[in-house]
Amino acid sequence: MSRVAIVEGIRTPFIKARTLFKDIPAQELGRIVTRELLDKTELDPDLVDEVIFGNVSQPPEAANIARVISIMSGISIRKIACTVHRNCASGIESVTSAYEKLICNYAEVIIAGGTESMSNIPLLYPKEFAEFLAGLNRAKKGPGRIKAMLRFRLSFFKPIIGVMLGLTDPTCGLNMGQTAEVLAREFGISRRAQDEFALLSHKRAIASRDKLKEEIVPVLPPPKYGILVDKDNGPRDNQTLETLGKLPPYFDRQSGTVTVGNSCSLTDGAVAVLVMKEEKAKELGYKPLGYIRSYAYAGLEPSRMGLGPAYAIPLALKRASLKFNEIQLLEINEAFAAQIIACEAALSSKDFAYTNFGLDKPIGSVNREILNVNGGAIALGHPVGSTGTRLILTLLKEMARKNINLGLVSLCVGGGQGAAIILER
Amino acid sequence: MTESIFYKEIYNVGIIEIDQPDSKVNTLTTELMKEFEGVIEGISRSKIEGLIITSRKKDVFIAGADIKEIEGITNFVEARSKSKEGQAILNKLENLSVPTLAAINGAALGGGLELALACRYRIAASSEKTKLGLPEVALGIIPGFGGTKRLAKLVGIMKALDMILPGKALSYRDALRAGLVDKVVYEKLLLEEALAFIKDINAKKWLRRPKRKKLLNLFLENTAPGRAILFSKAKKNVLKNTKGYYPAPLIALDVIRRCRRLNLKDSLDVESTEFAKLAITGISKNLIKVFYLSQEYKKLTGVEGKPIKPLIIGKCAVLGAGVMGGGIAQLVSFHNIPVKMKDLNYDAIGKGLLSAYKVYKGAVSKRILNKNEAALRMGLISGATTYNGFKKVDIVIEAVVENLDIKKKVFKEVSGVVSDNTILASNTSALSVTEMSKAARNPRNVIGMHFFNPVHRMPLIEIIKGEYTSEETVATTVEFSKRLGKIPIIVNDTRGFLVNRILLPYINEAAIMLEEGISVEAIDRSAEVFGMPMGPLTLIDEIGIDIGYKVAKILEEAFGERMRVSQIFDLANKNGLYGKKTGKGFYVHRKKKRIVNSEINGLLGQIKSKNVKSHTGEDTIKDRLFLLMINEASRCLQEGVCLRPSDVDVGMIFGTGFPPFRGGLLRYADKVGIQKIAEKLSIFSKDHGEKYTPSKLILELAKSGKGFYNS
Repeated sequence: MSRVAIVEGIRTPFIKARTLFKDIPAQELGRIVTRELLDKTELDPDLVDEVIFGNVSQPPEAANIARVISIMSGISIRKIACTVHRNCASGIESVTSAYEKLICNYAEVIIAGGTESMSNIPLLYPKEFAEFLAGLNRAKKGPGRIKAMLRFRLSFFKPIIGVMLGLTDPTCGLNMGQTAEVLAREFGISRRAQDEFALLSHKRAIASRDKLKEEIVPVLPPPKYGILVDKDNGPRDNQTLETLGKLPPYFDRQSGTVTVGNSCSLTDGAVAVLVMKEEKAKELGYKPLGYIRSYAYAGLEPSRMGLGPAYAIPLALKRASLKFNEIQLLEINEAFAAQIIACEAALSSKDFAYTNFGLDKPIGSVNREILNVNGGAIALGHPVGSTGTRLILTLLKEMARKNINLGLVSLCVGGGQGAAIILER
Repeated sequence: MTESIFYKEIYNVGIIEIDQPDSKVNTLTTELMKEFEGVIEGISRSKIEGLIITSRKKDVFIAGADIKEIEGITNFVEARSKSKEGQAILNKLENLSVPTLAAINGAALGGGLELALACRYRIAASSEKTKLGLPEVALGIIPGFGGTKRLAKLVGIMKALDMILPGKALSYRDALRAGLVDKVVYEKLLLEEALAFIKDINAKKWLRRPKRKKLLNLFLENTAPGRAILFSKAKKNVLKNTKGYYPAPLIALDVIRRCRRLNLKDSLDVESTEFAKLAITGISKNLIKVFYLSQEYKKLTGVEGKPIKPLIIGKCAVLGAGVMGGGIAQLVSFHNIPVKMKDLNYDAIGKGLLSAYKVYKGAVSKRILNKNEAALRMGLISGATTYNGFKKVDIVIEAVVENLDIKKKVFKEVSGVVSDNTILASNTSALSVTEMSKAARNPRNVIGMHFFNPVHRMPLIEIIKGEYTSEETVATTVEFSKRLGKIPIIVNDTRGFLVNRILLPYINEAAIMLEEGISVEAIDRSAEVFGMPMGPLTLIDEIGIDIGYKVAKILEEAFGERMRVSQIFDLANKNGLYGKKTGKGFYVHRKKKRIVNSEINGLLGQIKSKNVKSHTGEDTIKDRLFLLMINEASRCLQEGVCLRPSDVDVGMIFGTGFPPFRGGLLRYADKVGIQKIAEKLSIFSKDHGEKYTPSKLILELAKSGKGFYNS
């Protein structure tokens, strides 16, 4: 079977929500990267069969955001587009979904990616308010209308914060930070271990600034177009254990360990990659960044969602007939330091391997020297729908720099899933 | 006589379908009106239950009266009787006893709308092609088939003024809102709905609901003081827009005012008399000629008579994100073409994007586009500092700094990136396209595309053929320009091309007159009195003195003494008095006001006064400005910079705002008389040098008693 190639990719800088990109909607972020990808690869837009974007918050004004992006990028209206949603792995889902369509020969060239503007997730009004308005509309005049008006309550104006709603698990009611606390408790992960991990993320991200620039298209944010944004604004130059240590636990004020400092932050950003079969890439004269070897998604308890990678990685390895120690470079998304440390613990646990996979040896221990070498979401941020594609792009570019052949990307997924994808060169 | 009117009856309802032979549109020629009259007379004797009038043309109901006929009218009596005849026929239509309904399936303009107004009801297709208006004032006349009276009666004085004075056409939405049409329906169901409409009327199921008017409208239209305000405000507005050079809107206003209290018959008399007075004026004739010119040039291919097919531009790139680059990128994206805008740094790109964004914001506030449409188009512009994405573009428009060496460098560089077929166009305003093309890999693909500032508003584009430019390149570029909504003129590659070569000496001469002691105001005023949208010194402040100076220098280098740049230009430029963009030029520019810049007097003091006795009369100033233009334009013709006098007129009207009511620069020259011009030029040449020496062409024309247009 022929391989599926990731030909090239590009992303916007990842920008903390409500800062520099606050006036750029998600579809515009997606448009910027798609257009730049077309230009960078000198690809004839008419060759693109489909645009697939991952997006979690699904802006109400841009339903099926991938379609909006496709049209805004100047791709023919005769071409198709769909938006995929697997929560935090939506940016992986877009790529694996492209893979499936390519393998089925339902498409030859696909632009896959992810986009998210967490700045623009709207506030919601209580349902009672909507009912009040509908009632007011129905009561045309006279006493009925006055009666309808009298149903007004000030509490109608108390908005529900859409972002918080999205980050709260709909089946167990815990928000994502609280699920991280669940893992910290289960695996006994200290505050200090988490803060140290967070510090490492910032240090690596700062050190990799120039490397990361290779995957970034600079953006001039409207409406002023006056500031050039050409790097991620999450990484802190002067991050220290002391400052991290001063932050109060955010999700469990009493005994908690998870702070805003050792979690990823709300972020805006978009990524796009060009995906096609190896032969097609050759035909068009491309030298792909790499190829998809295998991938897997796995399910687990929603309250332990952070452990998703520990469930998905063994499956992806099995499908690729690879051992964990053969992987030369790793990107595991840093939703929370606690969650990623828990994954390390589970992956190196004999018990975990036996209980879940019937293996008599642990999956393998995670070597931090090959893990998230350019920093991770704690420093760079986590625009939920985009991160998956970003990890693939960042990993492939680093594999080329190091001239190595096997890499693995994995994410935990809100709602209780894990995603893993193995890439080769 | 070939038939234009087709009559049939369905379910006892008469249907008149208008289909003028050998034409894309219907126009109310005398012949067609006579035929129409015959059909109406026949109907008045038949026993139908209703009459529907519609058109068989696609997207056109009736486009108006026959302009050729109006142009051909030479005397008052003829003009009035033409109007009277039309009025009489429409009266017959109005007086039919059965319900009459105009089923409007596209443009109903001028006489076309007047015909529809003579029907009792109107329904219109809900299509973007549906336009209803009385645009007569644009041709220097007023409606002559009863439109002034009937429109005011139907939609109210206020709305009628709002439509007739600027000659504005309404969309189907606005027409319904104004009560100009009774119903809008899908185009494909127009006839079906029209028949049902007649049926409803006869069954008394349909009554026109009187439009509820706002209190303010009631006051303005139905009370004497209200009307006084309304008419005086309208008049002020007209004067502001026309500066008093176009009599038609004022006459239209007066006719509507006078006819308010007259009965139909008397109103029609007033209308046809005023129509006739206007129809025979030179202004109307000139405006008609300009209208024809704009129509003709919009159809140019640049390769007339040759079987060369233009390529379709699918993707475009712009080099340089300055005022022009940003403007061009905006224009291209507006027409749904993706455009890459490259500059050396993001600072410049940001400014280019911002200027495009502002134009789009304006378009949204003027409701030309909705927010989504504007965002989509804005998104088609992408800025970059690299040549990424240039391989696939069909045309690159260069708008970098006006410097031949830099432009050549850019052409060489971009040649290495683009494909073999990519057209390389330069937006230079004066430099040699041929020289630039020598730096390109494929000189056949190089051409000049001179846009005018502000790009989205100025209708003209100068297409400059270099020595090596291929005809395919010309054809594609002309086609592309037309797609961008521009009127092209095709000129040869000499310095300043056509428009700047004529305009710059005029501005320069204004500066020289300033040196001679004539005031800034006097100079600008005389040009404005002539009808220019602004005086030459105001104009150069708007353009930028630095930019004007650069072009003037290029011209001086090419043409020598007669284009010698005035010293005050030089000094203003050296002192950073660039005009509006720096806040100071010949004027000091404040937010809304501008006053003459006193620093200029200081600079004038540095210039040794020359021993020239200047005539400061308005006429003399005017002659010095415009005769110089004419002289230079005649040189362009004799040197073959352009081929036809109409090239000059189209260029000056649509590129510089030369007053259309004068018919164009050379049409104006013909009107004045070439002999007189030659004499005046000779006199000026004694005091002001060789630039005023009449050109060979002018001398020849003067000698033979011909004009530019009938040489």
